[in-house]
Amino acid sequence: MAEMWISMGPQHPMTHGLWTLKVKVDGETIVDADPELGYLHRSVEKMGERRKYFMNTTLTDRLCYASSTTWTHSYVLAVEELMEVEVPTRAQYIRTIMLELQRLASHLMWAGAYMPDLGHITGALYFWRDRELFLNLLELPSGSRLLYNYMRIGGVKRDLPDGFEQKTERILKLFEQRLDEYADLFENSKIFRMRTEDVGKFTGTQAMNMGITGPNLRGCGIKHDLRVEDTYEIYEEVDWDICTREAGPGYSDCFSRYMVRIDEMKESVRIIRDCFKKMPQGPTMSSRVPVRASGEAFRRTEDSRGEALMYLVGDGSDRPYRWKIKSPMFTTISACPHYLKGYKLADIPAIMGSIDICIGETDK
Amino acid sequence: MTLFGLCKTMAELTAEKFIVPILEFQRNLFPPFSYPAGDLADWFASEGGIVTLAWIYAVNIAFAVGMTNLILVIHLERKIAARIQDRRGPMLSLRAFRELGEDLAGEAPTWRFKGNYSGIGIIQNMADGIKAITKELIIPNKADKFLFSMGPIIFISSSVFLLVLFPLSDRFAASAAPAGLMVIMAAFSIAPIGVLTSGWASNNKYSMIGGMRSAAQLMSYEIPLLLSMAGVFLLAGSYNPVDIVEQQREATWLFGLPMWNFIPQFIGFIVFMICILAEVERVPFDLPEAEAELVEGWTTEYSGIRYMLFLAAEYIRGFAGAAVATILFLGGWAGPWPVPPEIWFLLKVYLIIIFWIFIRWTVPRIRTDQILELGWKKLLPLSLINILIVIFMVEIYPYFDDIVNLPEVF
Repeated sequence: MAEMWISMGPQHPMTHGLWTLKVKVDGETIVDADPELGYLHRSVEKMGERRKYFMNTTLTDRLCYASSTTWTHSYVLAVEELMEVEVPTRAQYIRTIMLELQRLASHLMWAGAYMPDLGHITGALYFWRDRELFLNLLELPSGSRLLYNYMRIGGVKRDLPDGFEQKTERILKLFEQRLDEYADLFENSKIFRMRTEDVGKFTGTQAMNMGITGPNLRGCGIKHDLRVEDTYEIYEEVDWDICTREAGPGYSDCFSRYMVRIDEMKESVRIIRDCFKKMPQGPTMSSRVPVRASGEAFRRTEDSRGEALMYLVGDGSDRPYRWKIKSPMFTTISACPHYLKGYKLADIPAIMGSIDICIGETDK
Repeated sequence: MTLFGLCKTMAELTAEKFIVPILEFQRNLFPPFSYPAGDLADWFASEGGIVTLAWIYAVNIAFAVGMTNLILVIHLERKIAARIQDRRGPMLSLRAFRELGEDLAGEAPTWRFKGNYSGIGIIQNMADGIKAITKELIIPNKADKFLFSMGPIIFISSSVFLLVLFPLSDRFAASAAPAGLMVIMAAFSIAPIGVLTSGWASNNKYSMIGGMRSAAQLMSYEIPLLLSMAGVFLLAGSYNPVDIVEQQREATWLFGLPMWNFIPQFIGFIVFMICILAEVERVPFDLPEAEAELVEGWTTEYSGIRYMLFLAAEYIRGFAGAAVATILFLGGWAGPWPVPPEIWFLLKVYLIIIFWIFIRWTVPRIRTDQILELGWKKLLPLSLINILIVIFMVEIYPYFDDIVNLPEVF
C-alpha cells in the first residue's frame, strides 16, 4: 500500500476533544504525524484583561473541564503573589484537599477515557463510576459538579461542611478497595500489557527537551514534581512521596505512564488523609484582599497533566494588564510526531490517550 | 420423525389440499392458456415437486430458528454487558452512594415503575430494527454505488446461509450433507469478500484499512482453524456433523464417562476457540471495526438497515461459530436422556456465547501485528501438534482398551 495521509479529527473517537491529527501511514505503520490545534480557542487571556481580577476565576474554571479547580488555583496563587495576600492556614489545607480530590477526579476521568481507546469499554464505566464519588465530594463544599469556582483570591469560598471528613474517609476507603480490584482487570491483564508496553516510548531527556511535564515525565523515572520543587500551599508539611515509574532505563511507555497515574491516585489519597489529620481551625478567607495591583507575578503549579504556568502583569488598575497561561498539554501534543513515528496505526489511540489530553487548556 | 420427514408430510398435505387444487382450478378456468398452471400442477403432484416444497419448508424452519436465536443472543449480550458494567439504568450513582450508607443518598428520587416489567427488554431489538429500516440509506458521493450495495448483500447472505447448514440434532437438520462442516467453513470464508468489497467501495480510508485488516485476519486464521478441525475429522473419519457427534457419543474413558473431543484434543479445542473468535471478529479480535482509531472500520459509511444487517450478520456468524465449536468439541447434542437433544445442543451453544460475551466486556483489543503474530507463530504450530497427538492416540489407544473406548472408524 502506498503512503497516504489520514486525517483523524476534529471529530474522531481518538481525539478526546477537538483537534486534528494528520498521520502519514505506510500500510499500518506511522511515518509522519502533524497535529493541528486551535479549534477550541476562546481567547481566555484576552478576555481576562477586560475583567476584574476576581472575575477571572470563572474563566480559569473553564480552562479544563476535567480539572477545573487546579487551574483556578494556579491563577489565584499568581494573583495572591501580585497582591501580596496572606492566605490563612486552614484555607491552605482546604485548598490542598480540594486540589487532590480534583486530581483524583481528573485521573479517573483520564483512566476512564483511556480504556475505550484500547477497546475496553467496561473500564470506562468502572472508572467513571468512581469519579462520580469524587464529584459528589467536590459538590459538597462548592455546590457544583464540574466547574467549582471554589478557590477565591485570599482563601476559599466557604468552609468545609459538617461531616465532610467522615464522608471523604468512607469514599477513600471504598476507592482504595476498588483500585486493588481493578489491578487484575487492567495492569495484570496480559492483553492490556500487550497493548501498552513498549508503545509510545520516549526517554526522560527527550521529554525534557520537548517540554513534556507532569505524570508523562515522571513515567520516565524523573523525580520532578512542582508540589515539592516549587512548593505551594502546605505540600511540604504533608506526608507524601513523588511517584515515578519507568518502563526501562530512563524511558517511559504507555504502561509506565498509566501506572504513574494509578500510583499518584494512591498518593493523593494519602495526602488527603494527612491533611485532615493536621488541619487546624481558623478562618478560611484572608481579612484583607485588595482590588488593585501592580507589578508582575509568576506562579507555576503541578496540574493533573503537568506544569501549569501563570504570568500576570498589573498596572495599578483592578484588571490585569497582561495575562499569560502556559498549558502543559500544548507542548505535549505538539511533540506527538516524535513519539508516534514508527508505531502502528492502532497504537495512536493508545499513545495519545496515555498522555492525557485536555483540549480546553491546550487551546485556551 | 426427522425434520425433513415432517416437512415432507407437510409438503404432501399442502400440495394435495391447497396447491394442486388451486392450480387445477386455474387450468380449467381458461383451457387455451392452461400451459404454466397445468404443468405446475403436475409437477407438484409428483415426487420432485413435493421434495422441493419440503426443502423450502425445512430451510425456512431452520432460518426461523436461527433468527429467533439471533434475537436471544443480542438480548443476552445486552443484559450481561449491563450487569458486568454495573449499568442498571439511571440509578448508578445512587447505588454507589447506597454502598456507603443511606445518609449519603440524601434526597434521592425513589420513584419506580409500578409492576414487574422484567423480560420485556427483548422488544428493544424490534425497536432497533424499526429504527434502522426507517433511516435514510446514505450512499457517499464518490463511492462505487454498485459494490457499495453489494457488500452487505454478500455479507448477510453468506451468514444466513450458515444457519441452514448445521443441524440442531440428528433429527432436526435442514441439510445433512456428507461434507457438512467443510461447507460451513466454506460459507464462513465468503464473508471477507463482502467485507473487502464494502471497505473498498466506500471510498474512505478508514473503511479501506478496516477491510484490509479483516481480510488479513480472516485469511491468516483460516489455516490454524481448519488444521485444528482436522484432528476431529481424523478421529471421526467424516466431515458429517452427525457422524462426528455419534463418534463423541460412543467414545468413553474413565468410569465410562463420555469422552467428548475437548478432552483428548485439548490443544485443538483451545486453538479452535481462539481462531473461531477471530473468525467471527469479536473482541479481542474485532480490529477491523476498531472504533478507537478506525471510527467504525469498514462499516463507517453505512447507515440504516445496511448497517443493521452487518451487525445482525456478525451475531449470526457468532452463533454459527459457537454451533460449530459445539459439534466439534463439546459433543454436539449428546446428553442425558430426559432433556431433548436440541435443547442440549442449544444449551452448549449458549454456554459458549455467554463465555464470549464475558470475554468481550473484560479484555481490550489486540493490535493487528500482534494478532497476525499469534496466528502464524503460535496457533499454527499448536494445531499441527494437535494433529500429531490425535494420530498418536489413534495408534496407541488399543493398549488402553480397559480405560478408553473409541469407536472404530478406519
